[in-house]
Amino acid sequence: MKKLQLLLMAMVLPAALAVAQDDPAPEPYKPSKTQFMIRGYGHAGLEFIKNEDGTESTFVGSTFAPIFLFKHNDRLIFEAELEFSFEENQLQVGFEYANLSYILNDYMTLRMGKFLLPFGTFGERLHPSWINKFSNMPLGFGHDGIAPSSGTGVELRGAIPVGNAKLLYYAYATNGPRLNTGVDAPDEAGQIHYDNFFDNNNNKALGGRLALLPFANSSLELGASAYGGKVGDRGDSLYADVGAFLYAFDLSYVRQVGFLGGTVDIKAQYNNTSVDKATYFEPETDTTFTPYSFDNQSYSYFAQVAYRPTKAGSNALKNFELVGRYSFLQTPEGAEWETKASQWAVGINYWLSWRVVFKLNYQRTIAEGGHDVPAGVTTTTDGVFIHWAIGF
Amino acid sequence: MKRIKTILIFVLPLAVGLFLAGSCASARVSMKTGAQLWGENCMRCHNTPSPAAYNNVDWATIGLHMRVRANLTAEETRKVVEFLQSAN
Repeated sequence: MKKLQLLLMAMVLPAALAVAQDDPAPEPYKPSKTQFMIRGYGHAGLEFIKNEDGTESTFVGSTFAPIFLFKHNDRLIFEAELEFSFEENQLQVGFEYANLSYILNDYMTLRMGKFLLPFGTFGERLHPSWINKFSNMPLGFGHDGIAPSSGTGVELRGAIPVGNAKLLYYAYATNGPRLNTGVDAPDEAGQIHYDNFFDNNNNKALGGRLALLPFANSSLELGASAYGGKVGDRGDSLYADVGAFLYAFDLSYVRQVGFLGGTVDIKAQYNNTSVDKATYFEPETDTTFTPYSFDNQSYSYFAQVAYRPTKAGSNALKNFELVGRYSFLQTPEGAEWETKASQWAVGINYWLSWRVVFKLNYQRTIAEGGHDVPAGVTTTTDGVFIHWAIGF
Repeated sequence: MKRIKTILIFVLPLAVGLFLAGSCASARVSMKTGAQLWGENCMRCHNTPSPAAYNNVDWATIGLHMRVRANLTAEETRKVVEFLQSAN
């Protein structure tokens, strides 16, 4: 048996050596100049909700939000994001943004497509679940929110060093928001919708943001945003000239504070939406309608603080983060969707890595009015949220 | 008229800023290392990423993406990407 093995080795070894000698040396790895990447984030969790209707608990989420990046060269990059989630037992696919950015020079970048609007900072920078310190958005954002999230159009943006400070600017034109006249959804008459892939009135909405980072370490950012245009459909005799004007102020302060032994992260944003007064019609029967009007002004704000003991001696302790947030929303008095809501949220986060977090939040929301709630009725909703989120 | 005034409030500081940018240089940024800028700028939105999380080619793409998204300057982006590539 041993002889047979030696005989086989004697036959095979020279052939293997000959093949190896014929193989050219492997070329060193050369990356291509273009590159395609998939990044993104996801989250899932368990939620307990208690309100006047009772108590419910449910697993939620498994949200998957892939971000596609294609770098064509050092100046040109394409980004797109989809968001897959389950709502009411159905798969929902959100088309968050898809745009092309071109670096014109050191101080100016041109973007075209559907992009997250730099209206404050929450919508553009802070909403992804692995960045958001909480399990949900503050009042005023998301579904039934008053702050815009994305728009389709063109944008110029850039950063300019000013001595030790830095100035950020953003200027954009989009198809703009669209007015809900209440024809299809009477209880939403007067609301404006921001996902407008086609311009409903040929009037481009204009917007912009200016922000100053006054300190050399970029710890403080103060910003002001504005966005406005006509929101009625062209040719609509009642609403064609109705316009809307939105503005926001935002603040961000992130810094390691020596005497606190850790990092403090403060974020705040105020949003204001003003829509020109118009007459809407409430259906009484199939053929009779009651006209009504209201001062269409809404505002919301939030302030949050997070503290992480990054200077702690214990590695486990360093990964904990304490968070607190207050948010408020006021929609127009007299509107079918009138509401006044305030919300407190506190929580403890644990960071498994720089991009994986477990969140435990408690939240209390006190609201007057709102969808399916008679005017003047106050509801209190308590919630406990256990979520994990990952960025990749 | 009120809206024009509001728009002017935003446009005028931009014009002043552009003028100042032409006459001032950010001495501080030019003196900072990529590691410093990585610590200061990433933290504005999220935790600082580990350099080992991606390879050199990936960091170049992510750097360009973050330059647009976070509105970083060209110099900040170059220094941060060079740091991440050298440390991964």
